[in-house]
Amino acid sequence: MSKLGQVVEAVENYNEFVLKEVKRARTDKVFGQQMVDRWNDVKAKTPIGTAPTGLKLPRLALPEIDEAGEITRYLLGEGLPGEFPFTGGAYREMYLEPLGEQAAGSSGKDGKNGKNGHTRNGKNVARVAASKPVEVEEPTRLFSGLGLAEDTNERFHFLTGHQRSARLSTAFDGPTLYGIDSDAGGVFGKIGEGGLAIDTYEDMVRLYDGFDMGSPAFSASMTISGPAPIIMAMYIAAAKKRFGSRVVPNLRGTIQADIFKEVQAQNETIFPTEASLRFLCDMIEWTTREMPRWYPVSISGYHIGEAGATPVQQAAYTVSNGFAYAEMLAARGIPVDQFGPRLSFFLDCGLDVEYIALARVSRRIWAIGMRDVFGAGPKGQMFKLHTQTSGRSLVAAEFKNNLTRTAAELMLAYMNGTNSCHSNSADEPFTTPSEEWIRLAAHGQAILLDESGIFKHTMNMLSGSPGMKAVERAVEVAMLEEFRQIESFGGVLPAIEHRYQRSQIQNAAHRYEEQIYDGTRPIIALTKYNDLKDEMPEVKMVRTPRAKKQLQVDRLAIFKKKNAEKSKRALDKLAEVVESGKNCFPTLIEAVEVCSLGQITGRLQEIVGHFRPMV
Amino acid sequence: MAAPIRVLTAVPICDGHDSAINTINLEFIRHGIEVVYLGYHRYATDMVRAAIQEDVKALGISSYNGGHVEFFSEVARLLKKQGADYIKLFGGGGGTITGNDEAIMRRNGTDKIFFAGTSLGDMVDYVHQHYSGPHKPFRGRKPSAEMQLARKLTEIEDRYAKGKKGKRPTPAKKIRNPKSEIRNTKVFGFTGPGGAGKTTLIDEIVLRLLHREPKTRIAILSHDPSVVGAGALLGDRATMINSQNERVFMRSMATRGQAGGLSPATEDCLTLLAESGFDYVIIETVGTGQEAMPFQTGLVHKTVLVMNPDYGSRLQLQKIVMLDLADIVVVNKSDQERARTAISEIGRRLDQNKGSQILVSTVANRHRDAGVDKLCDLLTEDG
Repeated sequence: MSKLGQVVEAVENYNEFVLKEVKRARTDKVFGQQMVDRWNDVKAKTPIGTAPTGLKLPRLALPEIDEAGEITRYLLGEGLPGEFPFTGGAYREMYLEPLGEQAAGSSGKDGKNGKNGHTRNGKNVARVAASKPVEVEEPTRLFSGLGLAEDTNERFHFLTGHQRSARLSTAFDGPTLYGIDSDAGGVFGKIGEGGLAIDTYEDMVRLYDGFDMGSPAFSASMTISGPAPIIMAMYIAAAKKRFGSRVVPNLRGTIQADIFKEVQAQNETIFPTEASLRFLCDMIEWTTREMPRWYPVSISGYHIGEAGATPVQQAAYTVSNGFAYAEMLAARGIPVDQFGPRLSFFLDCGLDVEYIALARVSRRIWAIGMRDVFGAGPKGQMFKLHTQTSGRSLVAAEFKNNLTRTAAELMLAYMNGTNSCHSNSADEPFTTPSEEWIRLAAHGQAILLDESGIFKHTMNMLSGSPGMKAVERAVEVAMLEEFRQIESFGGVLPAIEHRYQRSQIQNAAHRYEEQIYDGTRPIIALTKYNDLKDEMPEVKMVRTPRAKKQLQVDRLAIFKKKNAEKSKRALDKLAEVVESGKNCFPTLIEAVEVCSLGQITGRLQEIVGHFRPMV
Repeated sequence: MAAPIRVLTAVPICDGHDSAINTINLEFIRHGIEVVYLGYHRYATDMVRAAIQEDVKALGISSYNGGHVEFFSEVARLLKKQGADYIKLFGGGGGTITGNDEAIMRRNGTDKIFFAGTSLGDMVDYVHQHYSGPHKPFRGRKPSAEMQLARKLTEIEDRYAKGKKGKRPTPAKKIRNPKSEIRNTKVFGFTGPGGAGKTTLIDEIVLRLLHREPKTRIAILSHDPSVVGAGALLGDRATMINSQNERVFMRSMATRGQAGGLSPATEDCLTLLAESGFDYVIIETVGTGQEAMPFQTGLVHKTVLVMNPDYGSRLQLQKIVMLDLADIVVVNKSDQERARTAISEIGRRLDQNKGSQILVSTVANRHRDAGVDKLCDLLTEDG
């Protein structure tokens, strides 16, 4: 049995355990009283906040139950936010407005109006809040990449200029995603399209120019998987060049580096799977030791969802991929408490009903599996999640409707307690977002989180409703069933070799298209209320001019000429380390100082071969 | 019955967005179209070469990663340059292709762009209306030898599709490089159950042949099953990354209702290829069951049966007729746990035959696999 099979058993065992404990709380008086006491204690310690209207609300809303069995079912089965099994959220307070801001004006009133212990707690809270940094990072993290490094740099400054923290998210162009240099034959038209072009670590220096890469208020996310170890090495080399070697342990951010989902859905992988996984594990082993604040893999369902998977398939494949990485890293002898807390996740959020609770169920399964199968501590049990609203749900016809679609998806994403979020721009069916629409996309998040009171005052604002519970239960059953299917092949990797996930995703994609045109899935302005005359809208297209593309090619030529001799030696050394089977990541960090992305990819492919696409 | 429409589909270089094209391929084959699928992340030159060799009516490109104006224009330019603009170019890219882009692309030689929101049914209708009917004779410039060979193969297939008995075709113009060392064409036949790794193995053999012999020219005749009463998805090109090479002529054939792993037109097509001056001709059947030898004796010099270690019980082995007839039996995926048992069971079975059959174990999807090297040696050695 692979670890995935054990996870299925662990979740089933845990569910049984909860039921037994519920029974015990009802029959064993002492235990039942303990649970009731704990419940009352949680309630008593819950701070009270005040909305701008003056309305008082507890910062954690809890179900109105007082019977020992039900209390046990809630505390163990769902758990409080920030506590095992983390159904409601990885952290206790998520998006709540820091209490300090409101407490100043309201604590006195609390004292007068409070009943059953709230008075005391109002004061406690004010103290707690004072000892806590008020300035938390915004969850907003917008994906950008266009043209050359300096163009994307400008966009980054545009997006984060008004934020407390700079949370950047980087999109790369096609040649970069495939580890190809901009001067390769046949790719000129692709330079800087759909993302930015990176050929050398000098481009990486330009990309984050003006940002303090070692600051606790800075983090960078890079969406790239196939050549991720090379790009990660370039990031480190660029940071060292600007801030010296001492910056390395302080670097914060995420690199996607998810090979499994590439092979299952997104197709941006360049080495055979086994070799890709080896390079990936080399990188994870090094970064989890040397860069303890970096997330070296973002286990991604987004592209699985975008490729057509149903929400359950998306979550099941993503979480099972996560367990497969954990199994590989544990097999390398890396302690679970070194790598566990550094695994992060990325899910799509569309408009299907499953999205009401998809992330909640994923968090719960992950926590149980990591604790009971891998023996991880609390930090390694937390499913830390980035969400992106669904690009596939956006429609070209009357594209301004996409604002509404994205707003609804954002609402679902925050109801699911995502840790960071990207909201798509309405113009994305046509183009890399223009400034006009990306600004509205960013504002959408701020309207929900800052302007509206939905997520500011109370945790569990919407969780625990009968509908959400019903979706949760159905999704959990379906996800475990998917796990069993994968396990029947012998685990994630053998299932991939049998094309299991790919064929399931392709079938789901085809069904989705059929449903659009047979009326099962009405798409507004496309198949329903589509009476407007069919006209191509006037959208500002973001494209990279020819001269810029040529500039990138020219810069690369200068770099290659300058390093002609050194790069040869560096590639030979890299080849030697790769052949030896040793961890090649440190050598890669040296190599990128004199070699381009394409030079390194090419040399590695000579040794390990090319990825052979699965149809 | 008229011959099915053949089209080639692909996704441009540095683009892995294959969800749309997979869905469209499925819809096409359900509506009687034969689709040769080249895969994603493909160069314009590879698309044009494949379209010519497969002699398709049209080439469809699905592009979602930008740069489509340049890419479509490059493909159209290459088709025209080679005198192959009888192959129509169509495609789409959701909303990424604007009306302005489309105007430029059409001016540069693209026949049709499907905009965002086009239904699958409309695409199928367009292909049926505009790309059906017999091939028109080549016009203008003298067609290349490759184009002529491709067209002759089409003529053979079409004749069978119309139910006419095959007439032995006249050989095409020899396209062998006169400087080639090899005098005689060697023909290898690969067969075996589905999922055993035949396609990958052939592609690895091709990679080695191209490396070892810098001037060698290879033809591949690959088969995929037709969907009952409908089209076919001919997807071997997508897997055979090394075979997308200017020294390789590859042709994908649908079985068009014939059982046994080959098409009614296979024998004539193979004869034509064997006489067309290639150093090697490799033929691959579709995944077969326990049938007898799919290859006609005399036509194929060496037959290779590729086995998956997971064939089931020993009793199953006794039923596989090909085990008595193949010159070389390959146990692929020999890194699997079950492989050791498979190798010894098959070995004993071959010993019973008391012939000169050879057993090789390979891991085709492992780069530089020594087993594949050995298989390549066995194939190319004389005798």
